[in-house]
Amino acid sequence: MVDLSTILAGFADAFTIWNLAFVLFGVVVGQFVGAVPGIGPVMAMAIAIPFTFGLDPLPAIAFLVGVNKGGLVGGAVPAVLMNTPGTPDAAATAMDGYPLARDGKPLKATKMALFSSVTGDSFSDLVLITVSAPLAILALRMGPVEVFALMVFAFSVLSGLIGNSLIKGIIAAALGLLCASVGTDPENYTPRLIFGMFDFYDGLPLASVAIGTLAIAEILRRLTQMSGQVKPAVEVKDTGNPQDMRVSWAEYWACRFTMLRGAMIGTVLGALPGIGSTAAAFMSYASAKSASKDPGSFGKGNLHGIAAAESANSAVVGSNLIPLLTLGIPGSVGAALIISAFMIHGIQPGPLLFQDQGRLIYGLFGAMIMANFLNLWVGQVGLRFWVKVVSAPESIIFASALLLCIVGVSMATGGIFGVIVMLVFAGIGYLMSSFGYSVVIFIIAFFLGPRFEISLSQSLALMNGDWTRIIEYPIALLLLLVSIISIWWFLRRSGPDTTKSSQVTAED
Amino acid sequence: MKINADRASGLFFLLFGLALYLFIIPTFVEQVEGGWVHPDTVPNAVAIVLSLCGALLMLRPTKHHTQEASEFVRAGLYFGLLMVGLVLMGRFGFIYVAPMIALAIMLLIGERRPFWLVCGVVGMPGAIWLLVVQVLDRALP
Amino acid sequence: MKLKRTITGFVAGALMAFAGGAMAEDWEPTGTLRLQIGFAAGGSTDTMGRVIAKVMKEQTGWNIIAENKTGGGGVAMFTGIAKMPPKGNVIGLGVNMPVLINLVKRGDQLGFDLDSFEYLGTVSRAQLALIARADAPFDDLAGMIEYSKANDGLAIGFGAPPQKLLMEVVNREADANLRFVSTKGEAETQKLILGGQVMAGFSAGTHIKYLESGDFKMIASANDARHDYAPDVQTVREAGISAYLDPYFYFATTAGTDPAAVAALTNALENAMATDEVAEIVRNAATTEVLNLGAEGTEKMMVDGVENVKVLFGQ
Repeated sequence: MVDLSTILAGFADAFTIWNLAFVLFGVVVGQFVGAVPGIGPVMAMAIAIPFTFGLDPLPAIAFLVGVNKGGLVGGAVPAVLMNTPGTPDAAATAMDGYPLARDGKPLKATKMALFSSVTGDSFSDLVLITVSAPLAILALRMGPVEVFALMVFAFSVLSGLIGNSLIKGIIAAALGLLCASVGTDPENYTPRLIFGMFDFYDGLPLASVAIGTLAIAEILRRLTQMSGQVKPAVEVKDTGNPQDMRVSWAEYWACRFTMLRGAMIGTVLGALPGIGSTAAAFMSYASAKSASKDPGSFGKGNLHGIAAAESANSAVVGSNLIPLLTLGIPGSVGAALIISAFMIHGIQPGPLLFQDQGRLIYGLFGAMIMANFLNLWVGQVGLRFWVKVVSAPESIIFASALLLCIVGVSMATGGIFGVIVMLVFAGIGYLMSSFGYSVVIFIIAFFLGPRFEISLSQSLALMNGDWTRIIEYPIALLLLLVSIISIWWFLRRSGPDTTKSSQVTAED
Repeated sequence: MKINADRASGLFFLLFGLALYLFIIPTFVEQVEGGWVHPDTVPNAVAIVLSLCGALLMLRPTKHHTQEASEFVRAGLYFGLLMVGLVLMGRFGFIYVAPMIALAIMLLIGERRPFWLVCGVVGMPGAIWLLVVQVLDRALP
Repeated sequence: MKLKRTITGFVAGALMAFAGGAMAEDWEPTGTLRLQIGFAAGGSTDTMGRVIAKVMKEQTGWNIIAENKTGGGGVAMFTGIAKMPPKGNVIGLGVNMPVLINLVKRGDQLGFDLDSFEYLGTVSRAQLALIARADAPFDDLAGMIEYSKANDGLAIGFGAPPQKLLMEVVNREADANLRFVSTKGEAETQKLILGGQVMAGFSAGTHIKYLESGDFKMIASANDARHDYAPDVQTVREAGISAYLDPYFYFATTAGTDPAAVAALTNALENAMATDEVAEIVRNAATTEVLNLGAEGTEKMMVDGVENVKVLFGQ
C-alpha cells in the first residue's frame, strides 16, 4: 500500500497556488459551460481536454476534475430555471426544481441543487479516498447476472414515477427500449433498424435524443403557449422574505437523510461500471418520494426532490473513479475522458496505478476536495449570475437556447445530422407529453436499454440458457425479489386506482 | 363514441406495434443463427407490448385531454420553421442561417423591441461564433 | 526477374516520392483540415488521433481540427468521407477490422468499397491478446480448449466482432464449445475476467499492467506474430487454428483527391508519426510501437485484409 509520506506529498502538491488556480479555473469553466443549454458536463470535459496538452499531469487532471465537478453543478441550472435539462439525470432535478423556480424562488431552488450536489459529491469522494479498495472488490463480484437483476430493479423503480396510467407508463418505457435497440445488437453486431443510415450504427445519438425530448420539446411547448406578450423567462418575485432567496440551515438539515440516501445510492451505482447517473438519480428520487410522509408534494417544488436527485447524480461521479483508479476500468464517459487525460500525460491506468503514481493520485484526491469547496463558493456567485440571465425576456432566452442546443448537439454528434435527429425527437417528445405519456420514463428506458439487453445476453450465455441456474446467484435473486416488492409497493401507493381526472403536462 | 385522446393514441400504438412486428422488424433486422439474444428478440418483445398496451388503452382510456388544436398547429409551425432552418444550415452554414432562425422565432414570440432583437439576431450568434470557433477551436455546423 | 521488378519498383517509388515531395510542398488545405476519428471521445483511437492532429498542426501550421464521428467502428465515418467532394480537407482515422468485416459481410449495403479511398498510412498494429486470470487451470490455447471440452463449455469475453469471429473459427476447427459473452469493450472484458465470471477474454494492451502485477496470464497472441512484450507466448495460428487478427489503425481520405494533396497529407502524417510525442502516446494508448506502412503499404494491408476476413467467415 502507499505510505504516509507519499500521501502527504500528494496532498501538498495539490495545495500549491498553481494547482489551486487550475482547479478554480476548471470549476468556473465547468459551471459556466455546463449551465449552457445543450452543452452539459460531459461535453464541457471533452472540450477542455485539448487545453491540458501542454500542462503537467497534476494541474491537467486537477483542471479536468474541476471542469467535471463544476459541470455537474452547472448542469442543474437550465433544468431548474427553464425546465430544459440536457441530460436525463438533470431531468430528475427539474421535476421539483422547476416548479419551485416558477413559483418565484429560482435562487432557493438552484442553491438547494448546489448544496445537495456538493454534499453528495463530497460523500462519494470520501468513500473513494478511504475505502475504494474493498468497494472495487465488491464491484467485481457484481457480474452480468447481478447487473441484469439490477437493471430489472431499476425498471421496477420506474413504476414509482408512473403517474395515473400504468398502461401509458409501460408504453413510454417500451418506446424508450425500442429507440435503444436502434443500432448494432450487442451479441452479433448486426445493424438493425438503421434504415440504411450508417450514422445510426452505434445507436441513436444520446445527446440528440436527450436534448430533443427533454429540452427542445419543452421549449416548443412554451413557445406555443405564448400569448404574444413578452415576459421575463423567470420572474424573481420580491416577496420581501429573504427566506425565498436562500436555503436555511434548517431546510438543509431537514433533507439530511434524503441526501445521505441519495449519496449512498449514487456511490454504490457509481462504483459499478456502466450503470450511470441516470439510474441513480431516479432511484434516489423515487425512494425519497416513497419514504416521504407527503408524496403528493413531490413534483410541485419539494426541496427533498431536488436534494434526492442532485445528491445521487453527483455522488456517481466521485465513485466512478473507484473502478478507474483501482482497476483502470472507466465507469462512464466522463471517467473515460479522465483516462484519456492520464494516457496523454504518459500514465497508464491499471492495477498498479497506486503503486506507480501514488503521489499523483493523492494529489488528485486533494484537488477533488478543493474542487468541492470551490464549487460551493463559485456556485454562490454563479447562480446569481444565471438567475439574472434568465430574467431577460423570454424571446431572447428561448431563441438563444435553441441556437445553443443546435451548436451543442452538432459538436457532440459531429454534424447537422445529429441536430435533425434532435429536432425529430423534440417532435416526438412534444407529442408524447401532449398525449400524456411520460417523457422521463421514455428517456430512462432509452438510457438503460442497451445495458439491459447486453446483460440479458451475457446472463444467458453464462447460465447456458437455463434460467433455473439463477439460484446460483443469491445477490441477483435478492434484487429480483426486491424488484417485485417495490413494483407492488409503488403501484399500491400511487397506482392507477387513483381515478383523478388527468390534466397531464410535461411535468409528469 | 366520442373521440378520446387515449383511444386515438392507443389505436396508433396498436397499429404501430403490429407494423413493427409484421413488417418493419422482419425487413430491417438481420436474421442470425445461434446465440442467446437474437437481434430481433428485444424489438419483437417491444412491438408486442406496444400493440397489447395500445389495445388495452383503447378499451380503458383515461380522461386525458390534449391541448387545443390551435396549439398543435403552432407547434407544427415552429417545428417546420426549425426543420427548414436546419436544412438551410446544412447547406449555407451556421453564420448565415442562425440569425434568420433567431429573428423568425423572436418575431413569432412577439418581440418588437429593437434592442432585444439586435441582441438575439446579432449578439447571440456572434457570441457563439466567438466561443466555438475562436476560443474552443471547433467547427460550427 | 524478381530483382528487376524490385529495382524498377524502387526507382519508380523514389521518383514518385521525389515528385510527390515537390508538389506536396506547394499544396496546403484550403480552410480547415478535419481529422475525423471513427471512435468516441476518451478511447485509445481518440486519444492517439487528437495528439497526432496537434503534432501535425504544430509541424505544418495548417488549421487542423480533430472531431469524433462514431458509428460501427469507423463505418459511419468512412461512409461520410467516401461521399465527400475530394478536396483533401478531411482525413479519417479508423481501424481496419470493422471496415473489412462489413465489406465482406454486407458489402452491397455499404456506401463505399476499397476503391472509395486514398490510403495515407497507418499509426500502428494493435497487439491483441487472449488472456485469462493467473489462477486459470490452463496456460495455452490447447489447454484452454481441452478444459472447455471437459467442462461443458467455457465462457469467454469479447468486446468486438472480429474477436468473436476468431473464436467461432476455434469452435469450428477444434470443436471447443466456447460460450461467447459479449461485452462493451476491453475494460468490461477485463472486469469479467477479474471477477471470475468469464474464464478468458481479449485485450489489446491494457492487460500488460495486469501481467506485471500477476493478476493475468497470456494464453495466446491473436495476431499473426508473437507480441514483443511476451515472446514466449504462441500465436493462435501456431496453436493450429487457421485464422488470425491484425487490427491496424489507419488513415484514409476520399478517392479522387488531387495527387499533390494526397502526397502532402501522407507526408504530414509521416512526419507527425516520426515524433517522440506520437511514439509516446501510441505506447500509452495502444501499448505498442508506431508502425506506419505508408500509403501503398496501407492499401495493400486493406486488400490482403479482405482475404483474411473471408477466412474468418469460413468462406
